Amino acid sequence: MKKTLSIILSLMLVVALLAGCNGGETTEDPTATPTPEPTVEFGDNTDFKVGMVTDAGTIDDKSFNQGTWEGILLAADDFGLDTKYLKPDGTTQAEYLTEIGNLFDAGYKFIVTPGFKFETTIFEAQTKYPDAKFILLDGYPHVGDWAPVVAENTVSIFFAEQEAGFYAGLATALQLEDGEVGFIGGMEIPAVQKFNWGFQQGIAYANDTYGTTIVMNADNFIYEGSFSNVAGGQQLAAGMFDKGVDAIFCAAGGVGVGAINEAKTRAEGGEDVWIVGVDVDQYADGIYDGTNSIILTSAMKGIDQAAYDMILAETYGTFPGGEMLTYDSSNNGVGIPSENPNLSDDVVTKVLKAFDEVVAGTIIVASEQGSLIK
Amino acid sequence: MKKELNEVTKSLIATFLGLLAGALLMLSIGSNPIEGFTYLLKGGTMSIERIGNTLSTATTLILTGLSVAFAFRTGLFNIGVSGQMLIGGLCATIVGLTLDFPRPILLFIMLIVAIIGGAIWGIIPGLLKAKFNVHEVVATIMMNWIALWVVYYTVQAFLIDVQETQSADLPAVAQLKVPWITELFQGSSLNLGLVVALLAVIFIKIILDKTTLGFELKAVGFNRDAALCNGIKVSRNIILSMMIAGGLAGLAGLTFYTGFAENMQIGILPAQGFDGIAVALLGISTPYGVLIAAIFFGILHTGKGFMSAMTDIPPQIANTIIAIIIYFTATSLLIQRLWVKILRKKKSKKNAKGGVD
Repeated sequence: MKKTLSIILSLMLVVALLAGCNGGETTEDPTATPTPEPTVEFGDNTDFKVGMVTDAGTIDDKSFNQGTWEGILLAADDFGLDTKYLKPDGTTQAEYLTEIGNLFDAGYKFIVTPGFKFETTIFEAQTKYPDAKFILLDGYPHVGDWAPVVAENTVSIFFAEQEAGFYAGLATALQLEDGEVGFIGGMEIPAVQKFNWGFQQGIAYANDTYGTTIVMNADNFIYEGSFSNVAGGQQLAAGMFDKGVDAIFCAAGGVGVGAINEAKTRAEGGEDVWIVGVDVDQYADGIYDGTNSIILTSAMKGIDQAAYDMILAETYGTFPGGEMLTYDSSNNGVGIPSENPNLSDDVVTKVLKAFDEVVAGTIIVASEQGSLIK
Repeated sequence: MKKELNEVTKSLIATFLGLLAGALLMLSIGSNPIEGFTYLLKGGTMSIERIGNTLSTATTLILTGLSVAFAFRTGLFNIGVSGQMLIGGLCATIVGLTLDFPRPILLFIMLIVAIIGGAIWGIIPGLLKAKFNVHEVVATIMMNWIALWVVYYTVQAFLIDVQETQSADLPAVAQLKVPWITELFQGSSLNLGLVVALLAVIFIKIILDKTTLGFELKAVGFNRDAALCNGIKVSRNIILSMMIAGGLAGLAGLTFYTGFAENMQIGILPAQGFDGIAVALLGISTPYGVLIAAIFFGILHTGKGFMSAMTDIPPQIANTIIAIIIYFTATSLLIQRLWVKILRKKKSKKNAKGGVD
């Protein structure tokens, strides 16, 4: 026993020593930091390496991960960057930090992280890797006490979800003219709540301004409690449709997928039901018979746009480090899809008019609950 | 001629085959396997911080591996490590979030309740096996799901701070992370859990090799009927074995939820529980074997991301390579059979040539 133990100990020592040597070689050379200059000659930016760490879920989740990655790929196409994404083993801070370290050590020093789950991770990372730059989408760095600390090498990006929800609500009301709508949310977190509140304001605006008669019943505004329970979403949607709801706005990730499936089944059976999509244009996910989709429209937020813009800014040397940015209507950060096969031209025109009014400030969409349904 | 392969040789062959299969996969996607494995190894070992991360990943695997290995020695297959981890972690988290004691006392209480929680989750399938002959594989898998939902509702009902998907963060005094280790390992996630794991290795080694209890447990594992004939209380030993295995898994939960992480995320069965099976198999169910195997897996998990970042091997392929290595290492039994087959063929060839029996 003694012998085995001593062998193990000496082995560990050897590994530690070897590692020590290697550690010396990889010491960060401060001059190696990419110093992009404003350049018009794109396609030659191979020192500028952009990395991404995925949140829970896969790179093709049709939501946050995918949107972010598509923005990065678009930028890579335009500016000839080297890009890489890593998928952590789990969703703990330690696992996120490991992958950020892997990206950093491999030279990817511009790191994009999607989702509020990265908040405490980026708080650690922004001081641990001062040479790196971080983009945190939908969250801000904090130590666990929700007091924002955005370092000079980090940009924190939020979206005016209430405005996206508003346009979707307005479009839904105008297209349906009368009937009832519902809402299924994932977790009760600000991003989801703001979608919900904006949607309600959009419906109310249509009722007041254009004389539509859409009903909103508080029983049909529900947070499922997760972003992953597909079966739960299906049940909730079935319950609402049975009660006579015509369209459901889903801001719920995988839960929304369940609702979409339920609506597809019912549409195939001849029922007239609709889902309003979220985050990205979900029209294609709602196609049930090869041509028609149950996605009426989608409340989009420009995740890809944000990732692209930040990379663009870095390329021009105007990285807005230390700032908390909001993407809203005024910078085209939120809206509905450019093509809406299920909306009439008249509806789209009216939504665009409202969009201009929001930008101009004549319509103000509240990001607070106020007297709205939860 | 030796008929049986040495256990250690079997494990080494299995590892080699796993790495070989991984290399073939890298080749098939047009990557250079030597380059890939170099970065994999470097990623797990090339800096003090990375060694720290490797050891901290290994910490939980050592304990889950020990749990599986210990039950193996009594002839039991504990697939319920994930559930036992969850309950152990839950008990420790509840104590850490509610009690306000000086740190050493607090951590000690957390350690004890984690063991007790895991042990209870292990005793139940043990009792079912001993009294009603319910197969422990079925019972432990069921216990996993019960644990998942117990944690889900307990955390949501009592332990949430702001985010609905996880418990409140533990206060620093209730975490196994200590500043001097974090600084020594340059900000890695390594923590006191490693000490717990190493002590557990020594403790289990002593129980198995130096005590009557260990002898009885192993006797039950070798041949239950023979043990019974010789006056060993088989039922009692089955329950005891599952209890100790559960306690070890509970400790794994302690190191994972209060050391590696700082809160409990709900709705997730920890994969470490299942990885523990591979660790135990590769470690030929001995405490030191488990220790080495866990560190090996720690390197794989920590280095994988670096390999992906440095080469064109995408994360999915990196995960697949790890899975292949684990898969092959877990099939040492097949290697034994293959070996016997080869021997037999050689022998029959020889016989055919010589013409004599």
